[in-house]
Amino acid sequence: MYQNKKYGAFGGQYVSELLMNTLKELESAYREAIADPKFWDDYNYYMKEFVGRENPLYYAENLSKKYGTKLYLKREDLNHTGAHKINNVIGQILLAKRMGKNKVIAETGAGQHGVATATGAALFGMECTVYMGQEDIERQKLNVFRMEMLGAKVVPVTSGSCTLKDATNEAIRTWAKKAEDTFYVIGSAVGPHPYPEMVKEFQRIISKETKKQIMEKEGRLPDTVIACCGGGSNSIGMFAEFLENKDVELIGVEAAGLGIESGKHASAMALGKPGVLHGMRSYLLQDDNGNVQIAHSISAGLDYPGIGPEHAYLRDSGRVSYVSITDKECIDALLELCRLEGIIPAIESAHALAYAFKKAETMKADDIMVVCLSGRGDKDVHTVAQYLEGKDMNK
Amino acid sequence: MNRIEERMTKLKNNKEKALITYMTAGLPDMDKTVDIIKAQAEAGVDVIELGIPFSDPIADGPVIQDASFRSIEKGTNLTKVFEAVARMRKDCEVPIVFMMYFNTVLHYGVEALVKKCREVGVDGVIIPDMPYEEQYEIRQYLDEESPILIQLVSPVSKERIPMLVKDAKGFIYCVSSMGVTGQGGDFHSNLSSYLNEVKQIAEVPVMMGFGIRTADDIRGQEDIIDGAIVGTAFIRLMEENQYDLNVIADYIRTFKREMNG
Repeated sequence: MYQNKKYGAFGGQYVSELLMNTLKELESAYREAIADPKFWDDYNYYMKEFVGRENPLYYAENLSKKYGTKLYLKREDLNHTGAHKINNVIGQILLAKRMGKNKVIAETGAGQHGVATATGAALFGMECTVYMGQEDIERQKLNVFRMEMLGAKVVPVTSGSCTLKDATNEAIRTWAKKAEDTFYVIGSAVGPHPYPEMVKEFQRIISKETKKQIMEKEGRLPDTVIACCGGGSNSIGMFAEFLENKDVELIGVEAAGLGIESGKHASAMALGKPGVLHGMRSYLLQDDNGNVQIAHSISAGLDYPGIGPEHAYLRDSGRVSYVSITDKECIDALLELCRLEGIIPAIESAHALAYAFKKAETMKADDIMVVCLSGRGDKDVHTVAQYLEGKDMNK
Repeated sequence: MNRIEERMTKLKNNKEKALITYMTAGLPDMDKTVDIIKAQAEAGVDVIELGIPFSDPIADGPVIQDASFRSIEKGTNLTKVFEAVARMRKDCEVPIVFMMYFNTVLHYGVEALVKKCREVGVDGVIIPDMPYEEQYEIRQYLDEESPILIQLVSPVSKERIPMLVKDAKGFIYCVSSMGVTGQGGDFHSNLSSYLNEVKQIAEVPVMMGFGIRTADDIRGQEDIIDGAIVGTAFIRLMEENQYDLNVIADYIRTFKREMNG
């Protein structure tokens, strides 16, 4: 029967009856896969040979000097396709293959998960369709073209706010219609059970490597681990191995957009109420009538009104604290990393970095802080340029 | 006795099939919604599904999504729909079922919703994103006096069918195609055998919905099912005819006559 499908009051399977058997099949295929060493051999093979892992845990010497504490960066930005997203995609596509499905669908916001899914589909010879909001298609033309080069079909979504939330709705609708031969590759630690757990397991490699690397370099665990949260996939992967180490402080950073008080933000934890969206129960931005509100952030990847259900649980249990960073703070941190370390980070990752700089004030010289640099910033150069020219990029 | 059950018993005695329509509450406005309900009741509709608009209707196709969106823009919310139903109930006894997404229920309060439905005279609720396994949360507040939680069954429910049908009350909503509402006539290949399977063990009437436009669309299933549910096609008809009450009444009468003819 159903076990572990709820994280306290969060999680669950809020989907139509049409998808219940699909979820059951998925869960049993997933349980079999993760119990099979051969599955993990394949996963690890592609992580090493295709994605380029393990990636470094980089000691940011210049930043450490400036902020007076030891700052390490987990370099997910060095992965093939430029972010942590590929870890999860390879895991899910290997599972899809195992289940005999030859078509995959995905939702995408900024296009990173879409590109990663198109990449995985190309590698394993699968037909790939990506749902993307019309608004995002216009904002992220280059990623649309990338997906098309990789052989994927990009379907514009013109309902609701025409962004990630609506692209996800459309992917779920299509899945309900085509689940008999189609696998839905969800890009974040969201959705109905078992997706949040699956995504966590396929992103766990981030903290597995980090733990090993920090022991090699410092001989002890870090004091603080920081990662950004939209849906929460890089952060849940970064936290996974540290959850049991109660002395390691874990911090998730949401997007505060123009500021929480402005109402234009993407921080489900700050003001969100528990709600149900995309098959899960979690904290959710919603209005007085229970309609889902549109999130706002300069970062397309954090621009999501909900958050993964395990994060909601970790917040309420007190194990992880969740904070938020505004667009301005994020861009300042992004530029500082460029200039001091020669690394252009993704706008999403710069949120985690910005909070790390704030947090550093309370830390001692010997304290160790690890920040998940979840992606690289090539995709964001245009956005940053526009922001610096003073255009309103907060959509 | 619940109005739905009353109506179902009457239909059974008359050997008639039920016509159930879906309309989004608040279109073209709330007063007109009440007028449309009454016009349908007079024309002989058996149950009205009143859609509570939600920002993210994942079980619905483009037509109902769009209706939902426009209704929200007009300021429709659950409180206003309850007020409208209360006004309607002064002189109209047609069975009403709310079709709503779970977030709307959760936001209002599960227990509060059940209580308010009872007070106002809402006879049932359909919550398409609350599958059987999650229904315990509302079941704990349901009794003989409360609205009926209508059970959905799908062409791929297979071994789940006995579980879904077992406690079903009012009627069973058999989804006729995969995906979302409003894919006109594109029914699942396995439709008849699945409807049969449900019908054989069901103790309450079995209705077929999703993609039905006219009585013609149920040809081939008429010996199995006890009625049809029309949503998208009905919304489209109302819009194309500027919510003309005569056109609406005609559609209901024609459909019922053809289905029972």
